[in-house]
Order: sequence, then structure tokens, then C-alpha cells
Amino acid sequence: MSRVAWRLQRTETAVVAGILALLAVLLIPTGIQMANAYHSDGLNACRALNIGPSCAARIGEFQSRFQALTVLANWFTLVPGLIGVLLAAPFILDLEHGTYRLAWTQGITRRRWLAGKLGILVLTAVVASGALALLMAWWRSPQADLNGRLDTGVYDTAGIVVVGYAVFALGLALALGALWRRSAASLTVAFVGYFAMRIFVDYWLRNRLVSPLQGSWRGLRQPQFLYHAQIMSESGGSGKGGFKSGGPLGGHAQMAVPGNASHTLFHAVYQPASHFWPLQLSETALFTGIAALLIAFAAWWTHERIA
Amino acid sequence: MSDIAVRTSELGKRYRDGWALRDCTLEIPAGSVTALVGPNGAGKTTLLHLVIGLSRQTSGTVEVLGLSPRSDAKAVLPRLGFVAQDHPLYRALTIAETFTLGRRLNAQWDEGFARERAGRLGLDLDKKVGKLSGGQQAQVALTMALAKRPDVLVLDEPVASLDPLARREFLNGVLEAVVETGMTVILSSHIVSELERVCDHLITLADSRTQLAGSIREIVAGHRLLTGPRSDAASVARIHDVIRETHTERQTTLLVRANGHVYDSCWEQHEVDLEEIVLAYLGYRPGMRDTSPAREAVPS
Repeated sequence: MSRVAWRLQRTETAVVAGILALLAVLLIPTGIQMANAYHSDGLNACRALNIGPSCAARIGEFQSRFQALTVLANWFTLVPGLIGVLLAAPFILDLEHGTYRLAWTQGITRRRWLAGKLGILVLTAVVASGALALLMAWWRSPQADLNGRLDTGVYDTAGIVVVGYAVFALGLALALGALWRRSAASLTVAFVGYFAMRIFVDYWLRNRLVSPLQGSWRGLRQPQFLYHAQIMSESGGSGKGGFKSGGPLGGHAQMAVPGNASHTLFHAVYQPASHFWPLQLSETALFTGIAALLIAFAAWWTHERIA
Repeated sequence: MSDIAVRTSELGKRYRDGWALRDCTLEIPAGSVTALVGPNGAGKTTLLHLVIGLSRQTSGTVEVLGLSPRSDAKAVLPRLGFVAQDHPLYRALTIAETFTLGRRLNAQWDEGFARERAGRLGLDLDKKVGKLSGGQQAQVALTMALAKRPDVLVLDEPVASLDPLARREFLNGVLEAVVETGMTVILSSHIVSELERVCDHLITLADSRTQLAGSIREIVAGHRLLTGPRSDAASVARIHDVIRETHTERQTTLLVRANGHVYDSCWEQHEVDLEEIVLAYLGYRPGMRDTSPAREAVPS
């Protein structure tokens, strides 16, 4: 059964492999270039919280040099969704074209057929998204060294969550496909749904899965606890000279500081670097959990309702 | 092992928009080639899907080779061959790959037969299924079903989408396989012509009820067309089963099911062919005869 399932998803597997190859062609040369620049600029010596002006200048130069690529790579957070949705196609096309009637009247039960077909699809999604995450983790490593792994673009393209995202997109497309038996509509809506779910989690749910911390300090030097942290909101001073800023994704621990603030009391809400794994694991569990429910639903609906 | 291959009892299937099949009771003898005839929407496909276990009944029972096709799927599936309406196949696979799929999904698979049959039909094994003609695809689908070496072959409207030549070739393929293996064949169709050449049993299904079920030879022998001067059919109906009556100004024609009684000498007897019998039954409702328009045309 599994060999048959492989053969029947060959096109989609090839497309997914093609997408990964395309990314590799872009990322491997630029990644080598970036790693070389990181070492030749001596940036690994600049890995500290309160760095001197020469380090700051070099980091600034390094980051502006690779800024275009970094911004482009942030978009790769959509790729796991694309992989997941694409891999649902062989299953939905089977229902849409009626070929399941051929498959289910061979010598094996439809339970075995579903297990084989869905199992291989999930496996392909896990391997492909895992490869993507590894590639991105390697590519992003100089920036992760400088900015921390909670940085946008590292956190959601180079962590284990990527696998969760891909199987979630796959599960959503499978469930819609089982209901509608229309591949184009199911894949499109599933991709939009993936995007909506990501926005919901990024902007609202994530900081409720693992609560951010709060901290206060006085003066311009940033405290140790903000090293590689992700700042949700920050405030300082009071009255006329005070400021308040924030946003769900915040920024890296670089603050916009008003005027002469050497004695100002600052306050920040932040996710410390140590929250990387708790955040990754809880978010991965959330996405894979929903994916498991969706895939189980697709299997059950197909087994019981389709003839 | 009973000599009944398929047995249904008060079998029913309801979908969201209503009953597709209701109270269907029938028996299909083992070794027969049975035509299931009925108009579109009569429930033929629903019945066949219940027989092969593609869907599950809402009410009643269905047995194939003495087993339930749904709950004993593991035992029944290897013994069933099925060609669905429009003979679905994976268009991106070559014929050879399609056979490989069959080999991998069936414990019992006759690869030699499949390849030999494809060769005999002049099919190129390396050609993509999607590039074949409709008739060739139907033949590949039939080969897939036959290579399982099934005890029961179920064909859902296998020739409806084919041109007359492909239709003949397909039915010849079925006939050859029957002669060779003696398997039971159930074949649904809304076309009656050609069936007589292939089938030896016939079941008509209209509004999911069977009106006529039995061997074609007996069905043909058991029906007569009576023509006579225009008259009321009531006197005939007292002893004979009148299936259809038509009247012209001077003449009355009755299609009757013979039951051994002799006919009044005023009626002229004719043999009647299968197609005409089937068509008459598909318009026939037991107990409804008295309100039929033909009846109303008779002056009292």
C-alpha cells in the first residue's frame, strides 16, 4: 500500500522537492556569504548585551548589507503552509475524480488505504518542513547569534514549529477536501485559513501560551534579562518626556530612548531568550494537535460518508 | 456455499435528499450473468455500491457470497471485481503502472493475465491511461477487475459512455471471461439492446422496486402479446396478468404474463422480445393499472 501511495503522490512530492531545491539555490550561496561576512567582520566577538560603538557599527553594517535578503526570507514563513496544502492534493483529487472507487474495490480495506495514504502524506509533510526548518536555521544562524532565536523570521521559519505549521495546513486542506471533494477550492481556502491561523497565533495567542515577563530598570544600559529577548512593549519616564511603545511582535531589544534619560525608570514586557523552547513546544503541540484532529476527521468522514 | 451469489432483503439507502433505494429484495444466482435494468435514478448504482460495500445501507441486509460486504470487507473484497460508472483510473499512470497498483493492492492478482489481455487488445503498456480512448480505458478498467480473478464481477453502466463498437468489444470481453471462469456477473444498464446476447438473467428496477426477476429465457417464454378487436381488458385481467394495454380505434393490444391458462380465441397471440417486455415493466406499477391513462381511454 505505501508504495502505491508513494507513486500516486509523486507529482506533488516532486513539486514540494522543487520548492525546497529553489530555496536551497537561493539560501545556500547567500548563507555561505553571510557566514563568511559574520566571521570576517569579527561579529562573534560582539555577542554581548552592551556592546561598544565599533561593534554596533559593524553589526549595523552587516544587517543593512543583508537586509533585503532577511526581509525576503521572512516571507518563507508561508512555505510550510504551501507544502502542507500541496500535499493534500493527491488525497482530494482521488475523491474529486472518483478514482477512490477503483482503489477501494481492490483487495485491501479502505481503512488500510486511508492509513497508508494519509500516513505517507503526513510523513512527506514532516520531512519536507523539517528540511526547510534545518535549512533556514543554518542560514539564519549569524542573525540568530546577534538578535536571538526569538527574532521574527528565526522563530517561525527555523524552529520546530515549522513542522507543526505544515501538518496543520495539510490537515486543514484534507478536512476541507473530504467535505467538498473539490481540490482547487479546498487548497485555496486551506491556505487562506493557514494564513489566518498564523496571524491569530502570532498576534494574540502566542503570549497567552507562555506568559511574557515584566522587568524594570533605571538608566540607559540595558539589563541582562533583555539579552536576546523579544520585547512586547516598553515604556519609560513620565509626563512630557515619557514614551510608551509596543506591539504584539515588538522588536529586538533595542530601545528608542528619549532625550536625556540616564536616570529614567524603564519598564518592559518581554519574552526572555529562555522562553524559546517553551514557546516552540507549546505552539508546535497546538498546531499538531489541531492537525491530528483535522486528519482524523478527514479519515472518518471519508470512511463513513463517501461512497 | 449457497447457490445464491448476492442476496438482498428489504435493502434501503437514504441520502440527505431522500431514499435512493428502498425495500429492495432480490437474489442473484451464482454463475449467472444478470442484467440490472432500470431508468436513470432508479437506484441501480446505489444498489451496486451496497453490494460491493462502497456504501453502507440505511435499512435491510445485503449478502455477497454469504458475507456482509461492509463488515466482512476483508474477506469479500478480494473475491469481488468492480468497474465503476465512467471506469475511473489514475490518468497519470501508465497501463503497466496501473497493473502494478493492482498487484500491490491484491493478494490474489494475475499479472500474466492482465498483460496478456492488454496485449490481445492492442494496448501499449507504457502508454499513460489518460491518453487512451474511452473504450480503451473501459477495457483497462475491466482488465483490472478481471485480473483479481473475482468470484463476482460487478459492472455499473459499463457501456453507457461507449460507442457501439467499443460497447460490443467490452461486452465480448465480459463474455469471454464468463466462459473461461464461470464467475457471477451483475451488470447494470439502462439500455436493453445488446444485453440479451450477454446476460442470462434479468432484474428490472424502477423506483427501487424489482418488478421482474428471473432467467431471460423464462421471461421471454412467459410473456405474450395479445391483439384483438377493441375491447375491455378486464376479462383477460381476471385470469392473466396484464402488464400493458394499448388501444387503437379498432384494436386492443395486451402484453400479458402467461400463467398456463389458454387464451380466448378472439385474441391473436404473438411472441414478444425482451426489450418490449422490459419497457412495459418499467412503466408498470402493480395495483396502479386501474388509474392508468390507457385504461381511461376505454369507453364503458
